[in-house]
Amino acid sequence: MPSPRRFLQLDVFSDRPGAGNPLAVVLDSDGIDDHSMQAFARWTNLSETTFLLPPSQPGADYRVRIFTPRQELPFAGHPSVGSAHAALESGLISASNGKLVQECAAGLLPMRVDGEGHERRIFVRAPKARVVETAFDSSLFDAVVAGLPRGQLPPVIVDNGPHWWLVELADDVAVRGMKPDLAAIAALTLATNTVGFAVFGGCSDQDHDVVVRAFCPADSIPEDPVTGSANASIGAWLHMNDALPGPCYRASQGREMGRDGVVEVEVDDEGEVWIGGKTQTVVSGTLVW
Amino acid sequence: MVSAACSHRYFQIDVFAPRPGAGNPLAVVFDAGHLDDAQMQAFANWTNLAETTFVLAPTTEAADYRVRIFTTQKEIAFAGHPSIGTAHAVLASGFALPRDGVLVQECQAGCLPVRLEDFEGRPALAVRVPPSHIVRHANAGDVMLWKILSSATCGQTVPALVEGGRRWWLAELVDETAVRSFKPDNPAIAALAQASNSLGLCVFARSLHAEYDMVVRAFPLGVGITEDPASGAANAAIAAFLDESSALDLLGNRYRVSQGREIGRDAMLLLRIDDEHEVWVGGESRTVIAGYLHWQSSRCNSN
Repeated sequence: MPSPRRFLQLDVFSDRPGAGNPLAVVLDSDGIDDHSMQAFARWTNLSETTFLLPPSQPGADYRVRIFTPRQELPFAGHPSVGSAHAALESGLISASNGKLVQECAAGLLPMRVDGEGHERRIFVRAPKARVVETAFDSSLFDAVVAGLPRGQLPPVIVDNGPHWWLVELADDVAVRGMKPDLAAIAALTLATNTVGFAVFGGCSDQDHDVVVRAFCPADSIPEDPVTGSANASIGAWLHMNDALPGPCYRASQGREMGRDGVVEVEVDDEGEVWIGGKTQTVVSGTLVW
Repeated sequence: MVSAACSHRYFQIDVFAPRPGAGNPLAVVFDAGHLDDAQMQAFANWTNLAETTFVLAPTTEAADYRVRIFTTQKEIAFAGHPSIGTAHAVLASGFALPRDGVLVQECQAGCLPVRLEDFEGRPALAVRVPPSHIVRHANAGDVMLWKILSSATCGQTVPALVEGGRRWWLAELVDETAVRSFKPDNPAIAALAQASNSLGLCVFARSLHAEYDMVVRAFPLGVGITEDPASGAANAAIAAFLDESSALDLLGNRYRVSQGREIGRDAMLLLRIDDEHEVWVGGESRTVIAGYLHWQSSRCNSN
């Protein structure tokens, strides 16, 4: 029997257990082959499972491999934030000057650690976003947004690794009350080669500036609880339009499906988008695979 | 930091698994007495597994432990893979010891015996499943069912709707290849499940393979799952259906089932029909994750 490895299951973008997006993290992943990693990521049935390894490049603090149940990803937001949390919690690394460098298939990514203990928040710099021009059948788009009160920004597809449809709605009430036509969204996202369809709107409650929902029905995820990449692309799109609520803002996502995630979005002086938040350790134990 | 009062012993078990990763995962939470219903349901939704169970002290002397079983959406009275996986975790944790090779599980469906068995020389567990029966056989009017089965050749029994707590449509196909290559029409099966108030469709076929005697695939679209890697109660319903139809034939009163290969698993189940025509379903289980769960609880909040 193989020897046990340390294992954590985390709740990311969450200030209490159960409010965020779960992530499985296997520490000490040396010696697990690609096939076994993919099989375990399928078995956890979570949107992502990560494997921590010693860095293979100078300058990196740790290396992570990120798997969905179907494939390995070069980068994703919530697995990066959660993996850094796991590496810190388990004592694999320590953050000097609040800075970390994560090695993943997309390269070396800078990360930032703010605060300590329950107030600790981890940020990752998202890949550069760009607007994608795509020709498509507008009736597919019209079917998705029929009856929705829209905001001022035009609808857009943004690429920051995955391609996201972004549509601003009039306000938080419109976002929270949206009844998505999942079949129409699946048809639109398949036709435009996008991972999903995200809506957002300004929010005037005390704790949040923006409300977000993200739908990926073509990928068997009707609605995602809390989405790093979609929030990063919304931050970039707001920045391109001089429409940011501020240099850093708080987005609320997941309430409509029983969660209550918070993503903090920052745009720095160079126009780079950072996303981050708190992470909760929900399960800690050992894995035999 | 999380205080000790907030921690629960936690296991994630691979059920009906001859090797790690081959079976159906189950989350098991111990010391669950101070979690309320909403907290249990929220955790079962968060694990995103087919089922999550919570182990409690029994409320009757006849039982060794009590289990509550939750899907991501609701609490259910009984299911096979959660019963086997919970019994495995109960033994692994030392929560209870078997008496004369039997543990008695208390669940919403009553007190059910779980026996320690031998599966070709390896330790296994089997649970006696609440009885199921044929509601009716399919007829020419079952247009939705026949359309779903239109590309397959049926086997020796007529498809039937069965009920054992939950309902399933069962359809025997002509051989193993027909089952393994079956292409489910997911929207059509979802519509069939809704129209018949059932979980969905199971297809099965007898096999002459050296390692198993039957192949099964289960499509519980009625609860939003496209294909189940290993289904205890559904397999028990197939056994009861064949017994009620006097169609067990060469399968006899003990046979092995292969399930899950089409979705990257390779589960193995052992079915037994005893002298009282009660059906037992079992198999091997493995502890994959063992540790502690840190979840909110009312006791922690009041501290």
